Amino acid sequence: MLIVQLLLSGIQTGLIYALTAAGFALIFGATRIFHVAHGATFALAGYAFIETAGAGLAWPLACLVSLVVAVGFGLAMDAFVYRPILRHEGSFFTIFVAAFGMVVVVQSVLELAFGRSFVSYSSPLTRAAPVLPGLYLAPVFWVAVAVTIALLGLTSLFLGRSRAGIGLRALSESPELLRAFGLSARRLSALAFALGSALVVPGAVLRAATSGLQPSIGPHVMLISLAASIVGGIGSLRGAVLAGLLLGITEALVVSVLDTQWSEAAGFVLLFGFILFRPSGLLGQPVAR
Amino acid sequence: MTAYLLNLATLSAIFGILAVSLNVLVGYAGIFSTAHAVFFGLGAYAGAQLALLVTPDVLAASIVAALIAGAFSLCLALPALRVRGEYFVAASLGLQMLAITVFTQAQDVTGGLGGLVGIPPPTLFGLDVSSGPAFLVVCLAILALCLVGIRVLMRGSFGRSLMALRDSESAARAFGKDVARLKTLAVAVGCSLAGVAGALFAFQEAFVNVESFTLEQSILVLAMVILGGVGTLAGPLIGAVLLLLLPAGLSFLPFIPPTDIGSVQQLIYGLAMTLLMIFRPAGLAGRPVGQR
Repeated sequence: MLIVQLLLSGIQTGLIYALTAAGFALIFGATRIFHVAHGATFALAGYAFIETAGAGLAWPLACLVSLVVAVGFGLAMDAFVYRPILRHEGSFFTIFVAAFGMVVVVQSVLELAFGRSFVSYSSPLTRAAPVLPGLYLAPVFWVAVAVTIALLGLTSLFLGRSRAGIGLRALSESPELLRAFGLSARRLSALAFALGSALVVPGAVLRAATSGLQPSIGPHVMLISLAASIVGGIGSLRGAVLAGLLLGITEALVVSVLDTQWSEAAGFVLLFGFILFRPSGLLGQPVAR
Repeated sequence: MTAYLLNLATLSAIFGILAVSLNVLVGYAGIFSTAHAVFFGLGAYAGAQLALLVTPDVLAASIVAALIAGAFSLCLALPALRVRGEYFVAASLGLQMLAITVFTQAQDVTGGLGGLVGIPPPTLFGLDVSSGPAFLVVCLAILALCLVGIRVLMRGSFGRSLMALRDSESAARAFGKDVARLKTLAVAVGCSLAGVAGALFAFQEAFVNVESFTLEQSILVLAMVILGGVGTLAGPLIGAVLLLLLPAGLSFLPFIPPTDIGSVQQLIYGLAMTLLMIFRPAGLAGRPVGQR
């Protein structure tokens, strides 16, 4: 029963990772910007939810506030950090450092504003109830499953069918050709940032309601979504989702064999192995070195 | 007060060595490692264990630390040979997270979270160099050696080949440069120097634990190199001194509560990193791209 219990909690964590990684993969796939500040978006969204819900706002409104904060931060990063850098230079490292600087800034601002300790949001949905003898499950698990499937379905429908979605995929293939067709690369990349950042919100809210938040969650989530999008194959949405689930389940199952300390490390062993032996990831195309 | 200033100066020298060693990877070889604190840590543990078990000689500890950090640098060289850019950054982040777990768990060697305590005062060829000024001189001497060594190396054929590699790997390969050997060597040089800095750090603090070798530390060192100027000799030193003086300076400001100093320091250097990349990507000591 312990294994099943761990598997279920792994799936729940994995779904949160999957959504966040999908946002990262969407942004990277469309704009080729390595958006490491995605973790900061996660932390901001989570804190926005907890603080407004804690102040007495009804939870749907708090989710809306969190959505506004996340999308606002994503758009601001695109407009004020990545655009100016890409205008005069485009080296990947310059962008990485600038984004990392923002991760550090967001973490320290959250520390100054809300302290370093854990904060969490409790609701009747998060109370675990026995489902089978020895097996506990909180209703929030089903919420996580439903929300993830619905959102990923909607996102892939959007990318596959709508005009803007096709534009996004075209942006990743060839920005020049896109311009020749009279579409604005600038607008489409803002759209990618808005969508990708919005995908963070359900994960952040679920995380706040299940295991709580800490200012250092930003870097942690950044590492996970990075790992998931590489293990899944960079830029591949489906790959990122699969890898996010895989990482969550690995983390949980490792606990049954080793000390809890190793659970996070296990994910990175997986990442390291993939980079050494299969850099293209689960579903990606082979990369040129 | 003098003791405080001496401590600050010694730490600046040690972090100077660390930043200069990371610059070999980032600035000259174009290998963007975010795992430098791992090798700093390996050196610190190696130096501390040698001092505890065999001899508290600074030179011996530095050499052992350099050898061990250099040997483990293969963990970084391997992904550097396989992948580049985003992928390598991800691999080095992975290595950093892994190393922290190993440092925490391998309690027989590292003392785990409690760390290694009671590192004996350092000696050099039998002379006691544990007093503040004497140890500062030792650190400065080693820093000077590193600077001269790196300057000679980078002026020579090795450095020029490295920089060619950094600017265009395929062109360097076409000129018959052995890319794999060059990269492995550069990683080994940078990481073993980080090991030396680690050994000195262990003597200076007389205590090491895993807290000093986290991702935050790696990023701090990376920030030192970047703020100072990537690929310059003096840049990383300037960056190291600036970022070490920052918390010291902040603690004199009365309106910041002492518990918040860490966060305020992070806020400032994070902001500095972002703003610098937007307005002056070459760093404080670096020349703007057009004038190179």
